[in-house]
Amino acid sequence: MAALFSGAPPQGGPGYSFKQTPTMAPSGERQHGFYPYTDNGGSTLGISGADFTIMAGDTRSTSGYNINTRYAPKLFKIGGEGPDNKGARIVLSVVGFAADGDALKERLDTIVKMYKYQHGKPMSVSACAQRLSHVLYNKRFFPYYVHAILGGIDEDGKGALYSYDPVGSYEREQCRAAGAAASLIMPFLDNQVNFKNQYEPGSGTGHDLQAKVAQPLPRDTVESIVRDAFTSAVERHIEVGDGLQMMIITPNGVEETFTPLKRD
Amino acid sequence: MGGFDFSNHNRNAALHAQGVPLPKATSTGTTIVGCLFDGGVVIAADTRATSGPIVADKNCEKLHYIAPQIWCAGAGTAADTEFTTAIISSNLELHALSTGRKPRVVTCMTLLKQHLFRHQGHIGAYLVVAGVDPTGAHLFTVHAHGSTDKLPYVTMGSGSLAAMSVFETQWKGKLTKDEAVKLCADAIQAGIFNDLGSGSNVDVAVITAEKTTLMRNYITPNVRERKARNYRFPKGTTAVLNEKIIKKEEISKYVTVHELEDDSVTATAETMDTS
Amino acid sequence: MFIARSEYDRGINTFSPEGRLFQVEYSLEAIKLGSTAIGVATGEGVILGVEKRVTSTLLETSSVEKIVEIDSHIGCAMSGLQADARSMVEHARVESQNHAFNYAEPLRVESCTQAICDLALRFGEGAEGEESIMSRPFGVALLIAGYDEDGPSLYHAEPSGTFYRYDAKAIGSGSEGAQAELQNEFHKSLTLAEAEVLVLKTLKQVMEEKLDSKNVQLASVTKAKGFKIYTDAEMEGVVGRLPTN
Repeated sequence: MAALFSGAPPQGGPGYSFKQTPTMAPSGERQHGFYPYTDNGGSTLGISGADFTIMAGDTRSTSGYNINTRYAPKLFKIGGEGPDNKGARIVLSVVGFAADGDALKERLDTIVKMYKYQHGKPMSVSACAQRLSHVLYNKRFFPYYVHAILGGIDEDGKGALYSYDPVGSYEREQCRAAGAAASLIMPFLDNQVNFKNQYEPGSGTGHDLQAKVAQPLPRDTVESIVRDAFTSAVERHIEVGDGLQMMIITPNGVEETFTPLKRD
Repeated sequence: MGGFDFSNHNRNAALHAQGVPLPKATSTGTTIVGCLFDGGVVIAADTRATSGPIVADKNCEKLHYIAPQIWCAGAGTAADTEFTTAIISSNLELHALSTGRKPRVVTCMTLLKQHLFRHQGHIGAYLVVAGVDPTGAHLFTVHAHGSTDKLPYVTMGSGSLAAMSVFETQWKGKLTKDEAVKLCADAIQAGIFNDLGSGSNVDVAVITAEKTTLMRNYITPNVRERKARNYRFPKGTTAVLNEKIIKKEEISKYVTVHELEDDSVTATAETMDTS
Repeated sequence: MFIARSEYDRGINTFSPEGRLFQVEYSLEAIKLGSTAIGVATGEGVILGVEKRVTSTLLETSSVEKIVEIDSHIGCAMSGLQADARSMVEHARVESQNHAFNYAEPLRVESCTQAICDLALRFGEGAEGEESIMSRPFGVALLIAGYDEDGPSLYHAEPSGTFYRYDAKAIGSGSEGAQAELQNEFHKSLTLAEAEVLVLKTLKQVMEEKLDSKNVQLASVTKAKGFKIYTDAEMEGVVGRLPTN
């Protein structure tokens, strides 16, 4: 009976038609597995400038070929006052397993708010960055399944950006893309933000040509780079789309914007 | 006609056992539909082809020619749908020649299911077969293992559930041609927007006793927006390690050359001359 | 009155009808038996000074440790039961190290003081699920001196768990006289060198023994050098600067 088949390519992941390997024939013993993680797709990125940091993420949440929702924010204000985090100066972006991302955000937010009560001053980004690393490493053998990026303004008023692996290894960077389309966006960022593979025209011949040196980009330039990164990722990655959430952190506060993206 | 070459089977099985992954095929994770109407049949498809989570082709063709009045929409492994429809098209043409009759849709469907059943599901082709022949308008689905259905409206592919939801809420008997086209296009769009395996544009084919009308990119609801920045690099951005000059006259022997005038226009790749 | 009082002495966390916790009050008395310790905060840094009671000529004075380091930017002077101070200082050190580990920044002096005072009230039976660590209140008071992003600061922590920030503070047996002296002599524009002299001069007034470079100890906390206990040579230098009378 045809109704036995969905007509879809083999399920259990986005369309890996060749991936299905022959499963073991039942050999008496029944094996049970516990799979606590799912991948909810999506992508995030962060770029730091001279006196600002831009964080961005698409708002689509997926499982397999399905869209759970077209608006699930991946950017969170950390610290500040009350449940709306008024006056926050730190933004956390999380991509990967959304439930873990939410739990991590909730934990870090509590820590930063408690810090202010305990020490009578708002937490600096560098202190928050170190703490987040510990929060992640504390779950070394049952990790938060997320790629986190932390953005803010450092103690010298410069844009600060920290990126993490799921178990807490971290580094301060100029820019970073994470999530499903990271492999599509990161090379673009390398080229457009850090000017990789770009040389100064006429500065020499052959191997003597001088590499174009990276300098902090102005805010409107960075904003358009972010938009282009996402509109392009939407074109070629099925898990990215629906909406683009951006947070621009300056010494005066956090500005939030939302731009619709393609919904196919 | 040699069929398949299995000479690498043992080697590949050994490699696979050692953990070498199988090559990833392009799959048309797809929404395809078909619907009968008074006097003919409509089939439609989206135009996204994927390789894993990556969009391999934003505007591929999933409506395949079988015979002038028989067309086929394909889901599954792209290569399988393409080759299977081509082989059956070829066989049906020979059959029409030797019988001197127009090919029938049921014949096409039978050839397809026999071919697919023989290969025990290893050919990953999921098809919607539609056409008009002397016995009337017909609509079938054929699954990779060889099973078939004959229904007034059908959907297949990863977006089949989204598309079927449109049919189940809006379909009625005795549709006009325009109603059927609208219904199919709406069903495809449901797939495009709600199924990640489907996307981009809507292709539609309308088959009546008189003619077949292929409406390529019937709806384009996903046009790429203009980029915010210009990504033309200044001349000299890339290091030149050595140089060999080929004159414009020489190169135009192999490719067509378009002169770019306006600097603000993003550079377009030179098109290959396929002649 | 005295009889009524002793009944409420038994329960360590029991209020008397007048609303007093006698054991805590007694612990404050213990401090009044302790040697005098003085702290003076200036714009440049904080000076801590203590008298060492040399009870025997055979006592090795360098083994009397009444000023200790908590972290490179925080130190403290104590008066009262020294053994109790050990566990408080140990707690403060752990707290300071944990903060640096978790946040990659030095612990603030106020936060350090708060951490010590959190410990001060953990006496008695212990709350549900929490193990009791002490049967009685601490018998020691601390002067906590440090330098953080807000500059130098001096705190006084009591066994009751309360703490206050001071410009200058004296604790221990001679505290009453010493505090009066500090009240007269302190002004906001003191230099570090003047503060050294003020501390020693004040100690000298309240000490029973004659002050010399062996029976007092000084320490400083500054931005440049952090917490430093004065060496014998440095002590002799400051004692030499004392006005003779």
